[in-house]
Formats: sequence, C-alpha cells, structure tokens
Amino acid sequence: MAPTSTAPESGTITLEVNGTAVAFARPGTVALLDLLRNDLGLNGAKYGCGLGQCGACTVLVDGVPARACILPLAVARGRRVTTLEGLASAPGLHPVQQAFVDAQAAQCGYCLNGMILTTVALLARNPSPGEAEIRRELSGNLCRCGTHVEILKAVRRAAELMGSSGDAGADAGRRP
Amino acid sequence: MSGPADPRPPAGVLRVFRGDHPAGPLHEEPEAASPDPAGHGAELFLSVDAEGRVTAYNGHVDLGTGIGTALAQIVAEELDVALDAVTVVLGHTGRTPNQGATIASETVQVTAVPLRRAAAQARRHLVALAAAALDVPVADLAVEDGIVRRPGANAAVGYGELLRGRRIHLRLDEAGAVKPAAEHRLVGRSVPRRDIPAKATGAFTYVHDVRVEGMLHGRVVRPPYAGLDHGPFVGRSLVAVDESSVADVPGVVAVVVLGDFVGVVAEREEQAGRAAEALVTRWRGFAPGRDPGAGEAALRDNPSTPRVLLDRGDVAGGLAGAATPMRRTYTWPYQLHGSIGPSCSVADVRPDGITLWSGTQNPLMLRADIARLTGVAEDRIAIVRHEAAGCYGRNCADDVGADAVLLSRAVGRPVRVQLTREQEHLWEPKGTAQVMDVAGGLTAEGAPAAYDFETRYPSNGAPTLALLLTGIAEPVPQVFEMGDRTAVPPYDYADARVTVHDMPPIARASWIRGVSALPNSFAHESFIDELATAAGVDPVEYRLRHLSDARAVDLVRAVADRAGWQPHAVPQTLPADGDWLRGRGFAYAVYVHGKFPGTAAAWSAWVADVAVNRASGEVAVERIVVGQDSGLMINPAGVEHQIHGNVVQSTSRVLHEAVPFEGGLPAARDWGAYPILTFAQLPAIDVVTMDRPEEPPLGVGESASVPSAAAIANAIFDATGVRFREPPFTAERVRAALNPLPGPEAAGPAAAKPTARRRWRPRLAPALLAAGAATLGALAAACLPLRSAIPAVPRPDPAAFSAATIARGRLAAALGGCAVCHAGPSGTGLAGGRAIHTPFGTVFASNISPDAEAGIGAWSYPAFARAMQEGVSRDGRNLYPAHPYTSFARAPEAEIQALYAFLMAEPAEAQVPPPTRLAAPFGERRMMRLWNWLFLRGGPPAPDPARSAAWNRGRDLVEGLGHCSACHSPRNALGAERGGALHLAGGTVDGWDAPALAGLAAAPVPWTADALHAYLSTGHDPAHGVAAGPMAAVVRSLAALPDADRRAMAEYLAALQAPAAVAPESRAAALLAAAAAEPQGAPALGRQIYRGACAACHEADGPTLFGVRPALALNTSLHAARPDNLVRVVLEGLMDPAHPDLGTMPAFGRVYSDGQVAALLRYLRTRFAPDAPAWTDLDAAVARVRAALDAPRDPAIVEFPSD
Repeated sequence: MAPTSTAPESGTITLEVNGTAVAFARPGTVALLDLLRNDLGLNGAKYGCGLGQCGACTVLVDGVPARACILPLAVARGRRVTTLEGLASAPGLHPVQQAFVDAQAAQCGYCLNGMILTTVALLARNPSPGEAEIRRELSGNLCRCGTHVEILKAVRRAAELMGSSGDAGADAGRRP
Repeated sequence: MSGPADPRPPAGVLRVFRGDHPAGPLHEEPEAASPDPAGHGAELFLSVDAEGRVTAYNGHVDLGTGIGTALAQIVAEELDVALDAVTVVLGHTGRTPNQGATIASETVQVTAVPLRRAAAQARRHLVALAAAALDVPVADLAVEDGIVRRPGANAAVGYGELLRGRRIHLRLDEAGAVKPAAEHRLVGRSVPRRDIPAKATGAFTYVHDVRVEGMLHGRVVRPPYAGLDHGPFVGRSLVAVDESSVADVPGVVAVVVLGDFVGVVAEREEQAGRAAEALVTRWRGFAPGRDPGAGEAALRDNPSTPRVLLDRGDVAGGLAGAATPMRRTYTWPYQLHGSIGPSCSVADVRPDGITLWSGTQNPLMLRADIARLTGVAEDRIAIVRHEAAGCYGRNCADDVGADAVLLSRAVGRPVRVQLTREQEHLWEPKGTAQVMDVAGGLTAEGAPAAYDFETRYPSNGAPTLALLLTGIAEPVPQVFEMGDRTAVPPYDYADARVTVHDMPPIARASWIRGVSALPNSFAHESFIDELATAAGVDPVEYRLRHLSDARAVDLVRAVADRAGWQPHAVPQTLPADGDWLRGRGFAYAVYVHGKFPGTAAAWSAWVADVAVNRASGEVAVERIVVGQDSGLMINPAGVEHQIHGNVVQSTSRVLHEAVPFEGGLPAARDWGAYPILTFAQLPAIDVVTMDRPEEPPLGVGESASVPSAAAIANAIFDATGVRFREPPFTAERVRAALNPLPGPEAAGPAAAKPTARRRWRPRLAPALLAAGAATLGALAAACLPLRSAIPAVPRPDPAAFSAATIARGRLAAALGGCAVCHAGPSGTGLAGGRAIHTPFGTVFASNISPDAEAGIGAWSYPAFARAMQEGVSRDGRNLYPAHPYTSFARAPEAEIQALYAFLMAEPAEAQVPPPTRLAAPFGERRMMRLWNWLFLRGGPPAPDPARSAAWNRGRDLVEGLGHCSACHSPRNALGAERGGALHLAGGTVDGWDAPALAGLAAAPVPWTADALHAYLSTGHDPAHGVAAGPMAAVVRSLAALPDADRRAMAEYLAALQAPAAVAPESRAAALLAAAAAEPQGAPALGRQIYRGACAACHEADGPTLFGVRPALALNTSLHAARPDNLVRVVLEGLMDPAHPDLGTMPAFGRVYSDGQVAALLRYLRTRFAPDAPAWTDLDAAVARVRAALDAPRDPAIVEFPSD
C-alpha cells in the first residue's frame, strides 16, 4: 500500500547466506525462500504453507529461527542467513544433523529442515533444555508423518553430542 | 530410493525377469546381444553386474516410509551380499515392473514377494556357477558378501567375477525356495534408513527440488467449485479470463485457458505466484449437490446400492430375541491427508514425447491419464518418480502432474507447477465421511444377540482434475467398492450380517490411511465395548470371550498385560485429578485391505489412557500402549517407526480433524482451519511387537491406525461415562455433552454501541455537501478573492542552497512524510500518483520532484510556500486538503524554506500522475476558497516559555510538518479537522482508525513518553503493539529524524494526556494475567484458528522466532471500539513492517472466509480484551473491510452471475 517502504521494487539486495555475501537485484517483496531455492539452489528450506504455520521453510536469521516463506528480502537485507546446507563444515554432519540421523528422525523428511534448524538455535541458547522447553520450541513445526517421538529423541541426542564435543555454546548458525 | 540412472553395466550381467522371453526361461546370450529383457516385453526384477553390484526393481514407490531400505534388506539377505551392494529402483514407468498403485501397505507383504524370490533364484544360479568354477559341490559352498567359497578353503570366487563376459537371463521362478528365517542375518535386524542423511543435509532431491534446463514456473487458478469433481458445472463454468489483469506483472510468459483449466506461466516462481493471485477470472454460478457438511444426513440421503458381504445364522431372529436390544450409529468426518508439502511436478512436453517428474502414488495410472489428456501414446511418456512430502493415500500429486503437462505443452518449455497450501487443502481428494449402523444387543445371559452391520462409504474415484476441468473426462460420479475394508467384525457373532452401501462420492475423495477399515473398526470396537458395559463385563475379557483367532488373542493379552490393564466392568473407576477425569480404553483390529474378501495386514491393538477436563471438555491422550503382530519384521526399527507414525497421526485425526464446509464447499485452506496434532499434545507411546519371524511379513503402514478411534472413544467413556460416536472428539463437542454452557454471545459482556460520530459522519458529509454545494460554490466564487498564478521561474540551482539547508530539508521531508504520499509508482522518488481515497472521491498525489513540466521545478519559493501554507497551487488553483496545508501552515518558516531547498536538489522525474477529478460538486475547486476561509488558521504558534525546549520542539513537529492531526483528528462534514477539545481526538484514514492522541492515557495501557518514543522509533511498543497501515510508513519516515526530535514529539504528546489513573506497568500486568488462561466457553472455531495460525508468534510461551512477539492482551486494536483495524491487519497482514527487526505477519485474506475471520476476532476479543464489550455484527464488519480492500478474497470468486 504505502509507497515508501522497506520493500522498494528495485535495487540490489545484499545478504549473507551460509557465510558468503550474496547480492541480487530483486524486488524487496520477494520471499527469502524463493531466493534461496531458485537463485541459490539451496533446497533444504521447503515450501509448506506460505503462512508461517508449518515451519518447513525455516532458516536461521542472525541465529534465530525465521520462516523464509514470509520473510521478504527487504527484511532479510543485510542479515546473516543460515540454511540446512550451511550447518556443517563439509563434508561432515553438524552434530544436530548427526543426531537426527542417529535417531532416524524422519519418515518423509519434508519437515526435517525446520526441525533441525530449530534445534540448532535452541541448543545454542540452552545446551540442555528440558522436555517442556523442547516441545515448546518445536511447537511451531508441524510433522504429518507422526515422527514426533523420534524427533524428540534426536533433540536429546543432539544435546548429548554437542555437550560432549564442547560445542554446546556455539553461536547458532555459525559454521564450525 | 528411486534414483539416478543405472550406471552402464560393465561387461557381464545376470538378470531375473518375469514374463515371456523369446529365448526361453533360462538362457545365456553373448555379451553383445540384446541387453534388455524388458525389450522383449518381460519385466525386470533384479540384476547383478560384473562388479557384483545388485539392482532391485519394484513397481511401488516410497511414500515416506523408508520402504527402499526394507526392500534392500530382503534382497541382500537372499543374495548374501552386503546391504550397500544393493540399489533399489522404485516405481518408474519403463524401468520397474507394473505392480499397481502403492496402496494398502502391501509393498513388503505382496510386491516384495517376487523380488525376494528373484534374489534367491539368482543366488542359486550364481552358486551353481561357482561350484562349476571351483569344482566343489554346491552343498559345500557358502556365500558371504557376494563371495562364494568352501568354508575353511582359500579358493573363492565373487559374483562379479562369475558374471564377467556372460549375459544370463533367468525367468522368475514364482515358487522357488527362499531362505528360512532361522538363517536370516539382515532381515529382522534394525538397519538405518538409507535416505535420511541426504534428507538431513538438504542434498536429497524431492520432486519439489527438481529443476531442468530452461524450466519456467507455473501456477494454476482453480475454479470456485472447490473440492467438487462431479456435477454439470464441472469443466463448464468459466466465463472469461481478463489477461490484462496481469499485464503489469513482470515475467509472465503465458496465461493458459482450456475449459475450466486456468494456469499462468512465468519466468520466476514469485512472478507466477503474483500473476495467479492477480489474474481476474469470471465464473458462472453453480449449485453444489448434497452438502458434505451435513455429515450423516448427507450420506443417508446419497443414493446407494447395498452389497451384502456376510449373512450368517439368523440375524432377524437374533435381534428379535435380544433381551437388551441396542442400535447404534457411528459417524466419521471428512478428513485431509494433509501432506506438509503441497504437491509439485515438473513436466517437459516435447515433440518427441513427455517427461513428467512426479511424486505420484501410481506412475502407471498417471501415465495413462497423461496419454488421455494429451493424445500422446503411453510409450512416449516417461514418469520419473521422486519422493514428495508424505501422502498417506492419494493427494494432489497426480493433479499437479497433469497441470504441469498442460502448461508445458502450451509454452513449449519445461514447466514446474507448485500448488499452494490453499489449493492442496481445498482440492485434495479427501478421506471420505462414513456412517456405520449397528443393530445388535445382548441375550439374557449377556452374550451378543446378533450383529447387523451396515456401512455407507461414498466412493473415491477422484479422476485427475485436469481431465475434468478440460472437459476430456465427463464429470459424472463413479462408484467404487471400497467401503468393505474390515467391514466384517473380528468377533464370533453367531448371527451376523454385513452390508456395504456403495455410493457415489459427495465431496472429492480418495483413499486415506486405513481407508474404510478405520471407521468400520471404530464402530465394531465401540459397539463391543458398549456390549461389555451393558453385560457388566470387563471390555478386554468380553472381547476375549468372542475372539477365536489365536494370534489376535495373543496380541490382545500381550497389550493388556503391558498396559497393566485392570479389569473393570463399569466406567469411572480411576481417580479424578481436580477437573481432570481419567480413563482407559481398549480396541483391537486387523486391517483387511484389497477387494473383498481382501488380505489381512498386521494385527493391532491399543490401550489408550486419556484425561478429560470436565469443565473445558479438552481431551488429552496421555499414553498409548500399542501392540502389533506383523509376522516377520524385515526392519524392526522401521516397523516401530511406522507404528509411532500411525499412532500420532490417527490420534490427531481422532481428536482434532474434520474438514469444515461452508455452502457445500470445503472451507479449510490452512492449518488454522484444519489443525493437526503438535508436539504439545504428543502422547507417550509404548510399542509391543509380537515375535513371529517364521510367519510371512505383513504390511505395517496402516494397521496401527485402525484401532485408534475406538480405543480413544472407549477411554473417554471410561473417564466420563458418556459415549461419543462421532470423531473428532474436540473440546467443544465433549464439553457440550458433559457440561453445557450458555453460548458465548449470551455469556459475553454487553455489546458495544457504535459512537455517534462514526455513525453520522460518512452519511451526512456527502449529503450536506451535495445539498449545499452549488450555493457554497457560488458564494465562494462571489465573495472570496481570486488567487493569481505566480510566474514560473527556472529551476533553482541546487548549488544555491547550503548543504546544511538541504540536510535540514531532508529531515523536514522525513517529518512531513512527503514520500509517503508523493513517491512514484515504484515506491521511490517523488513522482506522485498514489491514489488517496477520501469521502469526497479519489485524490491523486502530485509530482513534487523538481521537473519543470510534471513537477514543481518552475515554482519559486513564494509559490511553494503558498502551496504549503495556504493550499494554493502555483497556477492559482486551490489544492484539496488531502494535502495537509492546514498543519503545514503551523510549521516554522525556516522548515518550509529548507524543505524547498531539499526538493529542488532531488532528481527531476517527468512522469505525470493521473489528474484528480472528483465528481460534482466536489470537482469545483473554487469551493475550497470558502473552505479555507472557514477552516485555515495559519501561522506557527509562539514558543511557550513556560514549557521545556523539548515540548516546544515537539509541538512544532507534531502540529506542523508532522501533521499528526491530519489522521488523528476527527473531521467535520466538510472534511476539515475539528479543533478544540476534538483536536487529536482520533480520526480515520484510508479505512484505518487513527487512535486519539489526546486520549492516550485512556488506552488499555496508558502511554508514557518512553512508550511513545519507542513506538515512534521502532514501530513497536511492547505495551501497545506494532504500527500497521499508514502508521508503519510514518515510522519508517521518522527514522531519518534525530532521536531528540522523536523524543520531543513523545514528550509533547505525553504532555497532552490527563494523568493516568493506573500505573502502566500494573495495568499491563493485569491485562496479561487476565488473558493468560483460556476463558470458559471461549468461541471454539476462533480458538482453533488462533492456535493454528496466530499462537506461534503471539502466545507468550510460543517458540523463539525472528521478529517481535506482540502480546495481544495489550494490543490497541483488540481493545478498540471498532474491529476495523484488527480486521484489516488480519486480512492484509503486515508484510511491509515499520522496521525490519519487527518481522512480518502474513495476510489471511485469501485464507479465511468472513465467518472464519469473525470467529477468530470473537475469540481474540473474549480472551484478550475481556473487559471490553463484545464487537457486534462482526461478520458484517469483516465483509465491509474486505470490500474496501484492493484485492478480492479469491480471484476465482469474482462474480457469480445468476445464469
């Protein structure tokens, strides 16, 4: 509506994705999700609802979980974005990814991106969260396959792995 | 594990195929001969190459269950190779055997059987070759990891080596021996799924991630008859598509229209999305048939054909002789598959054929549909199957594939089509409603008297949508016979009859996990519980008395034992905990799938522990003990995982899920209107698996869902003594039965009365003006001096102004928010053109860039100052007070001078905005002379020495260039701001209510200077909320000011207030505390939508997410007299926040109907503003606000002509 806007129609938008500065001449109204998937080929974040309800598109923005489907580039501008692909230093797995593999915490796996990134941010804030806190932090991430039991197990396993590796206090989304 | 193309086989291969091969059942060809048995019309199941690598082919697909891993285990076991040596190729037309659709959980139980035999047969052949090569009897040889040797001997030969230079084809021996369970080393062992590492890193290629060279992006626009697939209007309702409506959307390649099929193709995905939203389409009206929302009545009314599956003993006699006759009806709702990822497909239609990348459940059926849709022969169509989001039955995967083919064919390039969440929800072929009637009862001895079971199941053909929309397939209902799954009860009722009423669909439907077996078993297992209670017998004991299947009996006992089942003959034997009543329920079922009499999959039994809140009706499923007899378990971890998934998903369906319908159409477009279970509601799950390695493996994909509804209903009965026979068991349903409350309207506070000001103003203003306009205009012309034009001057040289003056002018422009109205169409610059809607008509903002022709480049400073202070243009014409010169007249002269310098130093822009032409009488600008005479009071006020410098500065800012009163003061009938006590007493702008700045102490939480400062600086104050609408733009503009100026504005505004009666902190704490708990009798639909759509970002203890977390209990809009601002925010969202750190809120205007928005607001007001009077007539308020918005709710529903 308003002509002055954080979302002008033109101009180059710069942000940091997985540690690399990227710049695109795209309207500020374009969703971060579209940029990540279609311009950067980062498929980890998934389109699920476009309404910020399911969490499949979660990325970390300055270390905080954000719904990339409702995050316009004008808001993402200048920020540090971490996707599922940016968690691990190649070729290994981030401890949280390892924990999800260990716990076999996927059926179709479409929600896995959001579950893992939410867990990364949670453990960065609190290396040993209780059951209630884990459930609360994941309450905005929907899973239709019913993998909740395995996912909760994976979060506890991730806390163990990160605790044992001394990585527990790592800044969420920073590459190790 | 359908995956990349096979590597080119090295020299040498052994293949096992099914079907006729011209060379005979077993033959060896020279290495150079025809390589592919499929070329001979045979189906390939297995190949082993000269490197010892094994490829297994299965016609089914992985629907998210990890089936590829289990199949690899089976093959590796029989061949005695390492698991890693096996690649599994799943459902791919042209490469895998035709084994039908992936349904009924039969991959392991049925379709893996030939594969397993193929592997065993290959091993026998290879060992025979080794025996010859090593000159050792077969009986003396053993195989490990594909190496054949005599134990203890050195001589050995690998499978690969045996095959070098050979090309061996074996015809599958369907009766060949397989390895006995006692020798299993891989099967029966839990192995990690092979797909998860790639899924955990983003490397996995779902169908959503397929990109091909030259690919474009498509979106479809569906007709208004959402979710209906039969009726005379289907495929015949489109009136027109207005392509000009997307003319200004960049990147659009094509608008494709074929009958009722409408799609857009664009270069980029967001462009396609924008075009689909913007495209204006017009449709004929239509009359939906039976209302699926009518539930039981709709099914009873639907024509049907009875089909008797079982008629045993003397049912009529048994019923007549019953000592306690019992007739019960159980009803099942429409439910969604609810894939987390809406369906997606990529199609490439070329002159030589079609390639379709798809997440389909049935590649062969889809290929036939595509052939029918396009006329292209099936052998020129390849379906490349990729995994998609789990589907648990048939979702829109086939539909979107056909959509992609139509769009690709239209543009001659590959096109990817992604359905939206709304489209997947509305159009997916839903799990159908079902009605089960049981007539039975007890004999005098308490035994079952008879069992007369009737089930009604609207069938589920669900033709692929594109066939219907294009008119290729006739939209006539088809009857499928699928109501018979587990229709026969598992108990030994001597006199029993089972009748299925086959009937056409009502809403578009297809199979969903458990198909008709879950509803049928809900009836069977509820009824036997009712019998047990009536007979005064423990429900488990009663079942065991009438169950003769030994494996079922074992399972029932094992599960009851694990759960610590305490026999009880009456409900409510467990102690309550306050308002929470506790209960346990039992249910048992075997899932029988396939055409009647069908095939039994795994046996399953549940013990459910529930807590039921007797006040709120909320049901918490706390623990499930679930047992399953799956026969041989290939991958026990996989089986347990499937059981968990079934328990969680079916608990969700039973507690929460029913598709709402409005006017005969589905009305759930998101997870707010169709909630599913979240982590907060997860029960503890204890799995009991029966150890039966010698029994054949059984399907495990659905069985554990089947007892769910009855177990939970039986547990609720145990807790409450009340029997519920229609899921979902929502809080309001349970509360209504346990503890009826008065309706929220009656219980709520008295309704608000709209204020007089707002009632008369919009009506009176135009009326008064119309009546007196001619007179006033004439009077103005006659009485008031004409204003002359001020001569044009050359554009001043920006160098004539000091940098400091220009910088000061830049701040003045920011304060005045010049660009808020005068920015150009791109959102930048000062070229004007924005439409400003006033009660008197639409005014277009002028170009104020220094262009000599289009802008103000030819304006001298006196001309500019006159426009700013007197509202007269350089040419002498009067301006309309949409330009707030009455405020600017109060700004210090130095500010106007600086602003002039700044504007003249900006780039010139030549665009000419549309002319403002108000309808008569408002088009008469001369009338404004009288208006100015009446209302324009010029001159900046003198400084008030009694006040602080900050206050004086704040007054200049707020009352001058800041022109706060332009929005925040009420206006009179002539559109002039009202003064005196009504100055800053609240106004409206563009449909938004601008709160009373003079009455901020009366806000729900009194404003302080600090709060105002925070709000003006960031667009957010935790005690009041987030700036929305025009105020967001104001905050963005004010960001350029020095902080001291925002502080001064806050100080001046704070000084306008009477002292607050309560301390803001304590008031905020009280409001938060009052809203912390769920109010009794809160509107149920609104609460459900709030939980699904709002709570994650607004609830105090929601998950940590980017952006602020506005507390709704403190939100100004929620406490306002009118709901309009809140309605507006819900409909439009806040995607363009005042400050990027605030985060965003999506628009829900396309997602919710007026009734749903009204229900949401009713809940929000009840819970978060409990002291405020209820808003009245919310539905009308939503409709009113929606009508004023630019975009309609759904582009598909623009017009319903009566023809």
